[in-house]
Amino acid sequence: MAKKATLMREYAKGLWDENPVLISLLGLCPTLAVTNSAINGIAMGLATTFVVVSSSVIISSIRKVIPHQVRIASYIVVIATFVTVADRFLAAFTPEISKALGPYVPLIVVNCLILGRQEAFSSKNSPGRSFLDALGMGTGFLLVLFVLGAIRELLGSGSILNFTILGDWFMPWMVMILPPGAFLTLGLLIGLSNWINERRAEA
Amino acid sequence: MKLFLIFISAAIVNNFVLSYFLGICPFVGVSKKVSSAVSMGMAVTFVMTITAAVTWLIYHLILVPFNVVILEYVSFILVIASLVQLVEMFIRKISKPLYDTLGIYLPLITTNCAILGLALFAVLREYGFIESIVYGIGAGVGFTLALVIMAGIREELELANVPKHFQGAGITMIVAGSLALAFMGFAGLISI
Amino acid sequence: MNTSAKMILVLTLITMISGGVLSSWDGYTAPKIEQYRLEQLRQAVGDVLPAHEDYEKVEADGMTFYVGKEGAATVGIAFLAIGNGFQGEIRMMVGMRPDFSEITGLSVLEQVETPGLGTKIVTDPSNKENPDWFTDQFKGLVPQPKIEALKNQAPQNDNEIQAITGATISSKAVVDILNSAIEQARKKYNSTKEQVS
Repeated sequence: MAKKATLMREYAKGLWDENPVLISLLGLCPTLAVTNSAINGIAMGLATTFVVVSSSVIISSIRKVIPHQVRIASYIVVIATFVTVADRFLAAFTPEISKALGPYVPLIVVNCLILGRQEAFSSKNSPGRSFLDALGMGTGFLLVLFVLGAIRELLGSGSILNFTILGDWFMPWMVMILPPGAFLTLGLLIGLSNWINERRAEA
Repeated sequence: MKLFLIFISAAIVNNFVLSYFLGICPFVGVSKKVSSAVSMGMAVTFVMTITAAVTWLIYHLILVPFNVVILEYVSFILVIASLVQLVEMFIRKISKPLYDTLGIYLPLITTNCAILGLALFAVLREYGFIESIVYGIGAGVGFTLALVIMAGIREELELANVPKHFQGAGITMIVAGSLALAFMGFAGLISI
Repeated sequence: MNTSAKMILVLTLITMISGGVLSSWDGYTAPKIEQYRLEQLRQAVGDVLPAHEDYEKVEADGMTFYVGKEGAATVGIAFLAIGNGFQGEIRMMVGMRPDFSEITGLSVLEQVETPGLGTKIVTDPSNKENPDWFTDQFKGLVPQPKIEALKNQAPQNDNEIQAITGATISSKAVVDILNSAIEQARKKYNSTKEQVS
């Protein structure tokens, strides 16, 4: 049972305790750039999850044959390969989303979250554990992107996932779907998560 | 005239940090002191200019003629990583003081999304060789500008009474939001 | 085996596998992406030209024209108009009568204008009856001597349109891009026609 609990933990830590965005502040560029609507946040979260999970599994499987000096270069090649796969997939099957995310899909390559997981976890752990770790981190990333996108879309366009929530009386806060809104919302979310963590620590 | 517009657009109107969200990690990490912000900015501008030139050559002389555009991301990121290494070795050879100022920031640049972003945007906008280089310089200057302004504000913030939960990243994001608002005032400059 | 040989071998292997995976993936996805691009183009051309059976692509002096055909007769000519808007590039497809006397339709393909203001050049959610009112104004417009954008007043002549309140610069940008693109297109298209005949 003890072993099973730790496997569960491997997954769950990425959701909150070591959340890549709110706690570790990794992968902020896409977090801020594509969250002007909830659907974009979800698409970006899924694409990133796909890349981090596949790269982690591959890299932890071949971790023993990669010489230490070229490990970063090897990681980058593997990551860039999966990013290209994801990018072409979006362009071929969901062209509208691919257009909305634009060059931020290829920029997943330099998302520090992904490289960080390879260096900190996959290069030292078995493929199974790396899979869970990456899946957890990806889910945590996806959740933050969805929440951020939903808040900005609700206040900036009065809808969530294109369903109108706030009626005609609501004057959309344009600034929320513009760049400043991204910074402000994320700043408030980080503050909120610090507050929650403190409350939990006290309890 | 077009080159001037590209420069202004990259440096101010469509600032890489404040409107494209590129290079946020060093923006949050290295913007505590004005002096280190200036050094980081210079290092990034330097690498950006060279990257713009080299990735243009690779894209137009290798990837397109051999019909392997699908390798764009893999080759760009490898080139950037090796370029950063080369620049580091080169600077160490030619100037000790310059290496002491820029050296420690160079390894951080490989995973700075602003660099790869620059290469991708330059391809997307179908810039020519000279245009790409000007775009690279403009983007670097814009990055430096945002970083230095931010560092100036954060030095003052040290003295301010920031609510406990917002200290560090939280208040940085909110300040960046206000800065982005201010930079939005520049929109429309390029059509004049 | 010494370390540097191993380094090179491993990196080369990884890169080669990566190249192999990507090139087969490219073979699978590229046709789909191309097909989508063509569909988008077909739709844009269909939107701006009067009813036509088919269109053919004509290259003239570095500019591409999509010539709408009904049987053997040319019913309209569509082309791209690209230029600077308020914050960045605006790309539009314009349809015109074969003699360039009248605009038959306008469709904004790409823009990065301010959300909620400049984006009204594509759709205006505040106008419930006709969200496309801005581009619809161009239908039947006569660009002689050139198109003019009026601020806060209804158009009187058939070369005038009404600018969007709060997005005058975006509206004027669309008009300016159109004026210069139409001028160029007319010259280039007519020059090739003379060469042919």
